[in-house]
Amino acid sequence: MNPEPAVELFALARRYGFDMVLKDISLVLSAGKTVILAGNNGSGKTTLLKILATRLKPTRGSARVFGFDLHKEAKEVRRHVAYVSVLGGHYQTLTAFENLRLAASLYGHDRQEVTVAELEGKLDAVGLLNARNKQVRTFSSGMKKRLAIARLLISDADLWLLDEPYAALDQEGKSLIDDLLIEGKSQGKTIIMASHELEHTRKFADGVLALQDGYLRKLESSPLEVVSD
Amino acid sequence: MTDFGFVMTLARKDLMQELRSKAATVATIFFAGIVLIIQAFAFSEREGLLAIIAPGALWVALAFAGVISAAQSYQSELEEGAFEQLLMYPIPRATIFLGKLLANWLYMSILGFVLLPISIVFFDMNLGASWLLMLLTILLGTLGFALIATFYAALTANLRARESLLPVLMFPVVVPILLAAVRATREIAGAGNLGISLSWLQLLLAFDLVYVVVCTAIFHFVTED
Repeated sequence: MNPEPAVELFALARRYGFDMVLKDISLVLSAGKTVILAGNNGSGKTTLLKILATRLKPTRGSARVFGFDLHKEAKEVRRHVAYVSVLGGHYQTLTAFENLRLAASLYGHDRQEVTVAELEGKLDAVGLLNARNKQVRTFSSGMKKRLAIARLLISDADLWLLDEPYAALDQEGKSLIDDLLIEGKSQGKTIIMASHELEHTRKFADGVLALQDGYLRKLESSPLEVVSD
Repeated sequence: MTDFGFVMTLARKDLMQELRSKAATVATIFFAGIVLIIQAFAFSEREGLLAIIAPGALWVALAFAGVISAAQSYQSELEEGAFEQLLMYPIPRATIFLGKLLANWLYMSILGFVLLPISIVFFDMNLGASWLLMLLTILLGTLGFALIATFYAALTANLRARESLLPVLMFPVVVPILLAAVRATREIAGAGNLGISLSWLQLLLAFDLVYVVVCTAIFHFVTED
């Protein structure tokens, strides 16, 4: 396991126009922990996840992921981070297999490293093997979410950022996410999951954080160090 | 995988998407064809006029079609957060630009090669033995155009008025390339001076080299949020 803290945030802030969505957020999260990020719609959960995924730049403050500076060493950070968005991020006219093959290539795996059988194995794991050759535009929201999980599984990321992973999923799909969280935890992955399903997800978590009025608060006793609390 | 591998992977992805959807192909071929036919019809009255305007007509058709295809190449990226996901892979930003550039260039070159025989027929263009030079002009001219179009299409991709802003922003920058391409085509097709056409081609090559370096170097600023 990586000896560095998985996430270190120092007085992080993010503004959209005149709206300060995140204010003075500081956090130290040890590697291997699972954290739920709670908060109302528009509280800044997705913004925080996107900052950690290097997609958004903070307006103020700094952040490190596994010791790498988010801004100066963004490419290194991206090697360690996988983000599952609400939208899915798939190409609609490509098939499920082609999307997964593309993701494997862009994660740096060539065709010898990740074989067809392995990719099919990931599709099978998320229940999409039968839809292997169907274009994603024909998929339901739940199927797109499953494909995003398959993409997460082929990354070598140590930090999983899951944005509403239970959204749009049926009961079987939700069980799939439960299994994913258990497996990720057993593999020592650090998981930050934005979710409204607190009651269901807290059993997997080492701690619950909530974003309120732009500040990060620790909701339950946990091994997290939330400096701004 | 090497950076070159990422570029090829992304270019292949864009071309595969276009082959499936044919969104740009249908629009650009139809549009460019109509532009050529209308101009041929409008200038067919006077003897010899068609051959004079042929280089301009060809590049006007290619330029307008190129704007459509460049805008379309980012359309699929915007659906369901695909471009956002692309930016979160551990690959250099430059490979994203070069991948899209390669796909756009290949597409525009093929379009140019399709429009060339149509122009020869409708506009009485006479390439003689210089047809290889004409193909080179199309390759260099479409490269320059694809460079600017790919860059500005990324810049305007997230804007609400992107369809109207893209041509307004990119055409002033792309004018030197279009002028050089038109002049080179005129010298080649009009039985003009081959030496002069080579000078214009050298200028086109210089523009392409400058733009490829500058656009690749600053592309990551365009994608920052």
